[in-house]
Amino acid sequence: MENKKLCLALFSGSVDKLTAAGVILGGAAAEDMDVEIYVLLQAAFAFKKENALTNDRVAEITDKKDEFLASLKRLEAPHWTEAFKTAKEMTNVKIHICGFAGKVWNGFKLDDFIDLADDICGIGEYMTSAEEADINLFI
Amino acid sequence: MTTEELTAIKVDKSVDARGTSCPGPLLAAKKAIGQIEKGQVMEVLSADEGTRRDIPKWCNKKGFEYLGTVEESGFFKIFLRK
Repeated sequence: MENKKLCLALFSGSVDKLTAAGVILGGAAAEDMDVEIYVLLQAAFAFKKENALTNDRVAEITDKKDEFLASLKRLEAPHWTEAFKTAKEMTNVKIHICGFAGKVWNGFKLDDFIDLADDICGIGEYMTSAEEADINLFI
Repeated sequence: MTTEELTAIKVDKSVDARGTSCPGPLLAAKKAIGQIEKGQVMEVLSADEGTRRDIPKWCNKKGFEYLGTVEESGFFKIFLRK
């Protein structure tokens, strides 16, 4: 039986949403789904090599940021990059950096981004992937 | 299966995922299931309430047999047969 497909448009560059994406990726990995991730605008900032581990911005409930980050630590939740890495090891996950998003953050080549990224692509690939997916998410 | 039957069952693989939160236990189960043969029994130890509900659904999707859950003090023992 062919694997189900998840297409994730990842717009957010905030650790709260990236952590949520990591949890969902874990679920997809457990079910052997094929996953295509398109890193759009603000997410490209988080995927830059110099930002991935130092970026601690949150998108929601910003006044409780310290509590949120402390809770993640207390619960020993893996950093989102680790969660993404685990998912890649367990199922077929491809991470595409939107070329335009990369340029916005001065990322012009694949090497400017963390090793999780597989390639730099255009929006046409996202449209095709979204059409073919069983599940589409925009985070 | 009853709690008595589950408690007495021969476990071929035990996965202790009590230190992780969702989706950690599910991923630990996924990793470990590859290490046992069809027909063998695995138990997953988890302190995560969500995992108690996830594992039966995961078994159903992947074609494994969910055998039942035993609630211990502060954690669950979730049994399945590959």
